[in-house]
Amino acid sequence: MMQHYPILAIMTYFLGAFLIVIFGKNRTVRNAVGFLATAVPLCLLITLVKPVMMGGDIIAYWMGGRVPAGGYAIGIALEVDALSLFFGLLVATAVFAAMLYSFSYMSHDDNEPQYYTLFLMLCGGVMGLVLSGDLFNMFIMVEILTFAAVALTAFRNSVFGALEAAFKYLVVGSIGSSCILAGTIMLYAQAHTLNFAQLSAMIPGNLNLATTVAYALLFIGFCTKAFLVPFHPLAADAHGAAPAPVSVLISGVLTKSGLYGIIRLTYILFRTMNLGTVQFWLVFLGSVSMFVCVTMALAQHDFKRLLAFHSISQIGYVLTAAGLATALGVSAGLYHAMNHTLFKGLLFLCAGAVLHETGTTDLDKLGGLSKKMPHTTVLFLVGAFSISGIPPFNGFASKWLIYQAAYQKGVESGNIGFLLVTICCLVTSTLTLASFVKVTQSVFFGQLPKEYENVREVSFGMRLAMGLLALLCIVTGLFPGLVTTFLTEPAARAVFGANHYINAMMGAGYAESFGLADMLPVSFYSAGVWSPISWLCLLMIMLLAVAIVAVSSKYDQVSALAKTAAAAEAAAVAGPRYGSGSPAEGKYELFFGGEESVYSQVGGDDMFWGFKHNWRHYFSFMHNLHSGIVNDYALWAVIALALAMLYAMIIL
Amino acid sequence: MILINYLASFFLIVLGLYCIVTKYDLLKSVIGLSIIDYGVNLLIITIGFNPGGTAPIFSFGELNPESFFVDPIPQALTLTSIVIGACVTAMSLSLVIKIREMYGTTDTHEIRRLRG
Repeated sequence: MMQHYPILAIMTYFLGAFLIVIFGKNRTVRNAVGFLATAVPLCLLITLVKPVMMGGDIIAYWMGGRVPAGGYAIGIALEVDALSLFFGLLVATAVFAAMLYSFSYMSHDDNEPQYYTLFLMLCGGVMGLVLSGDLFNMFIMVEILTFAAVALTAFRNSVFGALEAAFKYLVVGSIGSSCILAGTIMLYAQAHTLNFAQLSAMIPGNLNLATTVAYALLFIGFCTKAFLVPFHPLAADAHGAAPAPVSVLISGVLTKSGLYGIIRLTYILFRTMNLGTVQFWLVFLGSVSMFVCVTMALAQHDFKRLLAFHSISQIGYVLTAAGLATALGVSAGLYHAMNHTLFKGLLFLCAGAVLHETGTTDLDKLGGLSKKMPHTTVLFLVGAFSISGIPPFNGFASKWLIYQAAYQKGVESGNIGFLLVTICCLVTSTLTLASFVKVTQSVFFGQLPKEYENVREVSFGMRLAMGLLALLCIVTGLFPGLVTTFLTEPAARAVFGANHYINAMMGAGYAESFGLADMLPVSFYSAGVWSPISWLCLLMIMLLAVAIVAVSSKYDQVSALAKTAAAAEAAAVAGPRYGSGSPAEGKYELFFGGEESVYSQVGGDDMFWGFKHNWRHYFSFMHNLHSGIVNDYALWAVIALALAMLYAMIIL
Repeated sequence: MILINYLASFFLIVLGLYCIVTKYDLLKSVIGLSIIDYGVNLLIITIGFNPGGTAPIFSFGELNPESFFVDPIPQALTLTSIVIGACVTAMSLSLVIKIREMYGTTDTHEIRRLRG
C-alpha cells in the first residue's frame, strides 16, 4: 500500500482541481474539496516519514507496473527518497496553510472556482516535480506549474502591474522551460533513457560535450524556476502582483522546486559536486543572489515587493550552503530551505492581511497598524525575527549552521574565499534585520493614518493559517536537534548516497556495475565552536564594555544628549495634545482650536537614508539595471545561458 | 541530412532568442517564443530519427533484434511539447490582449511600471 502514496498525493491535487471545475459553484462544496485536496496529501506524506526518513527506504512506483527490464527503464517512475520527501513535506505544509488562508482572503473576488483550480494545479505540478523519477515527467510538471503560476499572477488583473508581471514571467519562464526540454532531450540522445536513476548511473561515467551542454541547459532551466540572480526581477514582479496565498506558493513552493532540481542535478544526476569549480560557481551564485537581493530589498517601497527580494536572498543562502558540498552544508541548506518556506509564507500572509484590511501595501502610506491588528502584528514579528535570525526562532538555527558550514569548509580547504562567504552571509543577515526593522516600523508601529481608523483584525480563518506557520517557526527553532535528526540529515544522506537510490530503483548492484562510488563519507560534525552560550557570554561582555565606556568617558555628552532628547520629546508630546485629540474629546476642539497635528510617520524611505545616501551610486546603478523591460530580462537569461554553456564546454 | 536538421534546429532556437531580446514588441516576443519551441521540437524529432528505419508499429512476436525502426519515444515527447507550445502561445496572446487594453500599447519600453 505504501508505494501507492506518492501517486495518490499527486493525483489528489489534480483531482481536486478537476472537481472544483465541475462542482465549484457552491462555496461550501468548493471549500470542502479544497481543504480535502490539500489535507490528504499532507497526511499521506507524513505517514511516509517513518519508513523513508527513519528507515532509509526508497519508495519506487512504476506507472502501469512497467518495471525495468534488462537494465532499461521504459516506464514512468515515481520515486520517494529522503530528499524528495523532504521537499514534498515542505510543499504540502505550505500549500495547506495557503489554502486555509485563501478561504476568507479570496472570498471577495469573483471567479473563485477558477482560482482554486489553478491553485491546485500549481500544487500538483510542484508535488509531481519533486516526487517524479523521470526527467521528461519533470519537464511536464515544470510546465504545469509555470502556467498555473503565470495565470495566478495575473489573476487579479486589475491590480497595478499584474498583467505586466505575468507576461514577463511567462517569457523568461518559457525560455527556462525550453532549456529544460532541450537538456532533457540531449541527455536522451546520449543515454536513450529518461529515467532519473538510470541516467544517474550512466551519465557521470561518460561526460562528453553533449552531456555537459545538457547540464548547462538544465541548470539554467532550474535557475529560472528558483529565481536566482539574474532572474530575480521576475520574482519581485510576480510576488508583488499576485494575491497573498499565491505569493506564498511562488516563494515558498515554486522556488523550492527549482532548488530541488538544482540539487538533484548537481549531486545525483551528474555527480559534479566533488569538482572545485562547480562548488565555486554554486557558492558564488548563491552569495551574489543573497547580497544583491537584500540590497534591492532595502530600496523597496512596496511591502510585498520587499518580501519578494528577501525571498530570493534566502534562496541564495540555501544555494550557498548546498554548494559547499559538505554534509553539514547540505543539511544546513535544507534546514534553511524549510525555514524559508515557513517564515516567508508567514510574512506573505501577514502582508496579505494588511492588504486585505487597508487596501494598500505601500510602506510610505501605512503605519500604526499594531493598534488595530494586534494578532497580525505579533505573528508578523515572529516571522520577522525568524528571517532575521534572532535566537529562539528557526532562522537562527539554520543560519548558524550555514555560518558553521561555510567557515568549516574554509578552514578545511584552506580557501580564504569561503571565509569571505561566511562574512557575506553575516552581512546579509544584518541587512535583512535592518530592512525588517524598517518594515515593522513603517507598517505596524508609529502613527496611525486617519484613513485606517476603521481597520479591523482579519478573520479567524486567516489568523489560523498564519498561526499555524508561526507555530511551526517557533517549534522548528526550539528543537533544532529533532529537525536535523529526523528531516535534514536523512535528506542530506540521500543527496550523498546516490548509489543507494539507483540500486533501489534499478535493482541491486546496478550502480556498482557502472563503477560509481558514493561521493564522500557522510558525517555531520561542526568546526567545534558550537556552543551558543559562549557566544551569548561574548555578547554580554561586549555590551558591558560598551556600557562602561559610555558611562565613564562620555558621561557628560551622553547626559547632555539625553536631556535634549527628553526635552524634544516632551515638546513633541505636548505639542499635538491640544490640537488633535481623540474623537471622544471633539467637543473641546472649539476651545483649543489651532491646526490638526501634522502626520509624522517615519516612512519606509526615511529609516536608512544615511546608509542609502552613502551607497547612492550602487542603488541608482541597481535601479537602472532593473529597468522593467522584458527584453532586458530575456537578455540576462540569454547571457546566463551562454556563460553556463561556455563554462560547461570548456571546464567540465 | 541529419546534420542539416541539427543545424536548423539550433538556428531556430538562436533566432527565437534573438527575436525576444531585440524586438521591442510584445507580439514579436510571443513569436520568438514559438520559434524557440519549433527549434526544440525539430531537435527532438531529429534525435529520434533513424535513416531508413520503418514506422515503430509492431504487434507481439513481430519484434526481433533485426527490426530497424525510428525511435518512438521522441515522437511522443514532441507531441507533448507541441501541445505545451500551443498553450504558451495562447496564454501569452491572451495576456497581450489584456495588456493592450490596459496600457494602450504593445511596446515593451512603455510596459515597465514595475521596475527598480
